Amino acid sequence: METKEKNFISAVIYVHNAETRIGTFLKTVLHVLEENFEKAEIICVNDHSEDRSVDVIRDVSKEACHTSISVLNMSYFHGLETAMNAGVDLSIGDFVLEFDGTVLDFAPEEIMKIYRKSLEGYDIVSASPQGRQRLTSRLFYLLFQRCSGSFYQQMDTESFRILSRRVINRVSSMNQSVPYRKAVYASCGLKTWNLRYRVQDVQKAADRKERRYRGRLAVDSLILFTEAGYGFSMLMTGMMMLTALFMLGYSLVIYLTQKPVEGWTTTILFLSFAFFGLFAVLTIIVKYLQILVNLVFKRKRYSFESIEKLTK
Amino acid sequence: MTQTAKSYDRIIIGAGLYGLYAALFCGKRGQSVLVLECGTEAFGRATYINQARVHQGYHYPRSISTAVKSAGYFERFNRDYAFCINREFRKVYATSREFSWADGAQFRSFCKAAGIFCEELHPGQFFREGMCDGAFLTREYTYDAMILKEYLLEQIAGLPHVELRFAVRVAEIGKLADAYELTLESGERFRSGFLLNATYASVNQILALLGYEPFGIKYELCEIILCEVNETLKKYGFTVMDGPFFSIMPFGKTGLHSLTSVTFTPHSTSYESTPRFSCQERSGGRCSPAFLANCNDCPARPESAFPYMAALAGKYLKEEYGFTYHSSLFSMKPILTSSELDDSRPTVIRQYSKAPAFVSVLSGKINTVYDLDEVLSDGD
Repeated sequence: METKEKNFISAVIYVHNAETRIGTFLKTVLHVLEENFEKAEIICVNDHSEDRSVDVIRDVSKEACHTSISVLNMSYFHGLETAMNAGVDLSIGDFVLEFDGTVLDFAPEEIMKIYRKSLEGYDIVSASPQGRQRLTSRLFYLLFQRCSGSFYQQMDTESFRILSRRVINRVSSMNQSVPYRKAVYASCGLKTWNLRYRVQDVQKAADRKERRYRGRLAVDSLILFTEAGYGFSMLMTGMMMLTALFMLGYSLVIYLTQKPVEGWTTTILFLSFAFFGLFAVLTIIVKYLQILVNLVFKRKRYSFESIEKLTK
Repeated sequence: MTQTAKSYDRIIIGAGLYGLYAALFCGKRGQSVLVLECGTEAFGRATYINQARVHQGYHYPRSISTAVKSAGYFERFNRDYAFCINREFRKVYATSREFSWADGAQFRSFCKAAGIFCEELHPGQFFREGMCDGAFLTREYTYDAMILKEYLLEQIAGLPHVELRFAVRVAEIGKLADAYELTLESGERFRSGFLLNATYASVNQILALLGYEPFGIKYELCEIILCEVNETLKKYGFTVMDGPFFSIMPFGKTGLHSLTSVTFTPHSTSYESTPRFSCQERSGGRCSPAFLANCNDCPARPESAFPYMAALAGKYLKEEYGFTYHSSLFSMKPILTSSELDDSRPTVIRQYSKAPAFVSVLSGKINTVYDLDEVLSDGD
């Protein structure tokens, strides 16, 4: 007889209007967990579904032998990130599997693959589909990496991941709230690994609400986690300052050589100076906001991966 | 069956705390009392199998009425039964940062309103970082049911007109002009002008014999886990509030801690008027919706949920508080459906008739046992 894993595992599944997919998805996850783990729990985060998703979950949960299945119902549509945070907060396992959606485009074995990988000492192991990303996703990750420095080099489209309890504790002590998990996980300073899986079959999953949410999330994450906003405003200020300086010289030259209409020179001088000042003030405000954001979301100034004991 | 029924001033069904307390109360007043118990010993079920808290109300931050009532009886119970009370630990209540119905500030103002002691502590002393937003030192004790039982039985033994009968089952109850007549399965019959139903989880089953209106309750098959704990944890009792969390606290004076959790302690639930569970079919005919057997010695008792409760407790408690599995206790717990929302636990005493009197009591707390005084002394 095969011996089962002694570690307690939790699976958190994001469910939003997924009545057609959640049944098979939950069954698959349940089957994998029951087969491989002595004790497990599954938390379905129901992000205010308006269809029969919860009924389907109830039906499937009758098949569970020793796995505890619970549904965490959100009071209104929160979107993937906040809803999954709630689910992870509720979970009690030593390891937590996060399923960001209910599209079963991976083979069931992949779940155990990332679990075994994490046992090798990776606190976060994520699974991404092989092959081409959507153009918008590619653009987002490119921009994200460009504007954020070395922190987030590994980021990619991910379908599910496994987290150790260490990461969850670390993240909850580092951040007051977690606006974008991937970025926070990547920056928590513990070892991560990404596995790619062969895509089984592609279904379209996101409804309109979710697509709108993703768009918003992309913009928010770029602003929050990268220097994109600050960089842009610095660039604009720099350009406007140069323009203002140029205008200063230009108006002086015109004044001396061409006798312009009365008042033109003073107007231009004033405008150049005013724009220069305005952009300088805006840059300060942007910088100020950025510091505030850092204070709110990143409470700790440092984070470490481990403490190695070298002497006895 | 021509045997004549023997008469008593009081007949009490159930030898839990409420039953024995009532027997002693009436016996001391010189009344003749008969206690009927279906188990082979007293305190075989819920009086023994629970968290053994002597409540002062901390547990009910959303029901000030329950809190105030428990607080009122707290001092009295600790005085009257001091010999069975364990005070030798620090009891810490904490509010979970996430998923709690009450936060630290609310708990503090609740304690103030209820007039019960609470001193703020630093949550990081006991709990992992970020898990709890408030921790409070409180005054809550646990009682040792077995010591309490010995005491009550000893007291009762000194009263010759109080009779205890164990391993007997009530088959029928009939209402006569001036008395209730009980018939046991053995055919024995007893009569009394005052019948007290103190059977807790079996309360509706006794009511059904008379066709009286049942209590609006649901049933939960509950597991209390006894743990051996390390020296660090021995000095403490912890309760994380107010939602799907856990308690680990000394279990009377046994030297063990009881571990319970809101989500994993109840193994299954029945919403019917009398308890109906799938495990009853596997009980070998001992247990049915009409007669509830003792879950603790049932062959069909469920597998322990220790790994789940341990994972939950381990998620909150710092590593230095170590505990290991010792054993499990199972019992049936009736919960008034009307109190789900505010999580109150009122003691309900219902008088179904006077002369002859029939009273049912249902309470989930031991220190509100004094609520019985009024109805027991009624009509004297």
